[in-house]
Amino acid sequence: MVSAFRRRSLSKTQAGYAITELVVSTAIFSSISLGLLMGFTSLERNYVATSDFSLNHADEMRISDYMAMDLRRAIAVQPAENDTTILIPAYYDQTGTPQTPALDSQGGVFYGASGSSVRIHYYLMAGTIYRQQDSAPAQPLAVNVQDFVFDVTDAGKVVTTRITFNPTFNSGGASAAATTATAFYNTTLLRNSRTDIQSSVY
Amino acid sequence: MRRQDSTKTGSVLVWTVLVIAMLSLIAVETLRLVTAKYQNALQTSTWQEALLAAESGIDLAIVELRKSLYPSPNQAWESWGNPPGNEVTSHELTTVPNAGLSGTPMTIEAYVDAPSQLIDPTNSWQYYRIRTVGTIPITGPARASDNPQDTKLRRLSLHWERFTSGLLLPQHIDKPQVSRRIEAIVRPVSSFDQAIMSVGVVDLTNQNIVVDSYDSTDPTKSTNGLYDPAKRQQNGDIATDGQLIEAGNAQIYGDVATNAGTVSGAANITGIERTDFYQEPIPVGAPSWSTWNSSPSLVTGTTTINADATKGSAASRYTLSSISLSGNKTLTVAGNPNGSQTYIEIYVTGDISVSGTGQIVVQPGVTATIYFAGNVDISGNGVLNSNNQPSDLMLYGIQPPTDTSEHVSIGGNSQITASVYAPGHDVTVNGGGTNGHVYGSVVGKTVTMTGVSNLHYDERLGATGVVNNYKIVSWFEDNR
Repeated sequence: MVSAFRRRSLSKTQAGYAITELVVSTAIFSSISLGLLMGFTSLERNYVATSDFSLNHADEMRISDYMAMDLRRAIAVQPAENDTTILIPAYYDQTGTPQTPALDSQGGVFYGASGSSVRIHYYLMAGTIYRQQDSAPAQPLAVNVQDFVFDVTDAGKVVTTRITFNPTFNSGGASAAATTATAFYNTTLLRNSRTDIQSSVY
Repeated sequence: MRRQDSTKTGSVLVWTVLVIAMLSLIAVETLRLVTAKYQNALQTSTWQEALLAAESGIDLAIVELRKSLYPSPNQAWESWGNPPGNEVTSHELTTVPNAGLSGTPMTIEAYVDAPSQLIDPTNSWQYYRIRTVGTIPITGPARASDNPQDTKLRRLSLHWERFTSGLLLPQHIDKPQVSRRIEAIVRPVSSFDQAIMSVGVVDLTNQNIVVDSYDSTDPTKSTNGLYDPAKRQQNGDIATDGQLIEAGNAQIYGDVATNAGTVSGAANITGIERTDFYQEPIPVGAPSWSTWNSSPSLVTGTTTINADATKGSAASRYTLSSISLSGNKTLTVAGNPNGSQTYIEIYVTGDISVSGTGQIVVQPGVTATIYFAGNVDISGNGVLNSNNQPSDLMLYGIQPPTDTSEHVSIGGNSQITASVYAPGHDVTVNGGGTNGHVYGSVVGKTVTMTGVSNLHYDERLGATGVVNNYKIVSWFEDNR
C-alpha cells in the first residue's frame, strides 16, 4: 500500500511539476533568447558600424596620402569636387626607368621631352574613387563609397584636400554634424614650381 | 534528487559554454579587426616618417653645397667621399638614433652628382642632382595590409629591401622597414637675387624712393636692353636676414621679406610682405690667383689698364694696393676698340677712393669685376659704366675681419650702373639727387639709400655673379 500510494503520489506530483516547469522554463528560455538575440543583434550592428567606420577612415587616409604624394610633385593642379587633375613631371620613360633631367632655355628642369608631363586624374564614379595615370587603366582607391566626398582647395603654394564620408551608426542616416566630424584634412606644400600659375613666391 | 541536480547543472553548463563561446568569437573578431587597423596605422605613420628622413637627406646635401661656397677651408664634402661631379657621385650615410616611432633609428642616404645635362648654357652654372633614401624600421610583424590598395601606395620592405645602394636591387632583410626615395634638382642662386639685400637693417627712409625691375635680356621688359618705365616689372624685391626694413613709404614694386622682423612704412608695396627670409649671405674670400698682371700695383693718377677677350686670363687680372683718384685723374678700363666682349678682374687689397672730377671709366664691351678688401668711397664724377649694364660692373667686398667696421659709399653726379655685393660692409648708395637713377642690385651688412630717388633692378642679375645659395627647382618621389 505504501509503496503503491507513493508511486501514485509521486506520479501526480511529477506530472504537475513538469507542466509548470515547462511553462516557466519556456518563458525563461524565451526571455533569455530574446534578450540574447537583441543583445547580439545590437552587438553585430555596432560591430558592422565600427568596422565600416574603420574601413572608411582607412580609405580616407589612403586617398589623402595618394593625393598628397602627387601634389608634392605636382607642376599643375586643376581642382574640383570629386574630380581633380594633377600634372606631374614625366620622370619615368616608357619602360618605367627614371630619366636623366635636362634644362630648358629658361633654366627650368624637365624629364623626357621638354614640356611633357604625366596626367593624374582623381574622380568619383559609381561609388568608387579612381586614380588614373594618363591613359592607363583607372585604379580604384576605394570601393563601395557612395557617400564619399573629396574636394581640393588650391592656394597656390599649398593645396588642401578634405575628405568626408557618412558614418552608419544611425539607421536613419548620418546627420550633417556627424558627416562633418569625419572630415580628414591634408594640407600639402607643393615642392615644384607650378607651370599653371604665376607667383613671385616661386 | 542527485539525478535532478545533475540534469539542472548540465543545462546551465551548456548555456554558459554557449554564451562564452559566442562572446569569445566576438572578442576574437574584434581583436583581429583592431589589430589589423592598429598595424595599418602604425605602418602609415612609419611611411610618413620615412618621407621626413628622405627630405632630411636633401637638406644635408644642400648644407654641403652651401659650405662649398664659403672661402677655403670650408670643410665641405669631408665625410662624403668626394665632391660631386659629372658621373662622380658623393655619398653620405647618416643614422639618427631614436628618431622614429618607439625609438627606432632613422637612416638617411644621400647621393649627389652633377650631370653635364644640368649645366645652364647661358651662364655655365652647374645644377646638382640629389637623390635620397630615408629608411625607418617597422615595429611589428612583417605583415602586409589587409587592403591591397594600401600595399600599392605604401610600399613596405617586409622581407626584401626595395632600394639598396641607391638602386632598385632587392636585398633580403631580417626586419621589416619602410624606404622612400626622392630626387631633387637644385640650382644655384645668384648673389644678386634681389634688388636690395642686407644682413641687418635696410634703410630707405625719407627719400620717396621708387624700387622696381626690368629685364635687360627681354625686349618685352626693356627697350634695347635698357630700363623703360613703360615696361616696368614688379620684381624689385627687398630682403633682410635681420629684423628691420625701414621702407619709408617707398614705392616698392616687389616683395619685402625679413627674418621674423618688421617692415615700417610699408604702405606702397605692391608685392607681399614675408617674415620667412632665412638666408645668410656667403662671405667673399680674397681671390686666389696663381698669376696676374703685376703692373700697375697702385693707382693714384690717370691710368689705363686693359681687359682681355679671354675670361680669367693672367693678363687681365690686376692686384692693386689701392685706387685713389681726385682732380682730373681717370682710371680707364680699356677693352677692344671695336667694343667686342672683354673681361677684367681687379683685386684692390686696400681702399678705393674717387672724388671730385676723378673718375673710373669702364669702356664699351668690358665686363669688370672688382674685389676690394678695404673701404670704398666713390663720389664726384664717380664711375662711368659705358655698357649701361649692371652685370658689366660688379663690386665684391671681401669679408673684413671680425669686429672690423668697413663701408662702401657709392654716389656721383650721374646715374650709377653697377652691382655691389659686400655682406661684410655697411653700404650707402647716395647718387644722383632727386632725379638720380641706380641700375643694379645692392647687398650689404646694412644698406642705406640716401639722395637716390630710383633703384631699377635688372632681373638678368639673378643669373649672373657669384653663387650665393642653392634652391630646389625640381622634386620627385620615386614610388616604384
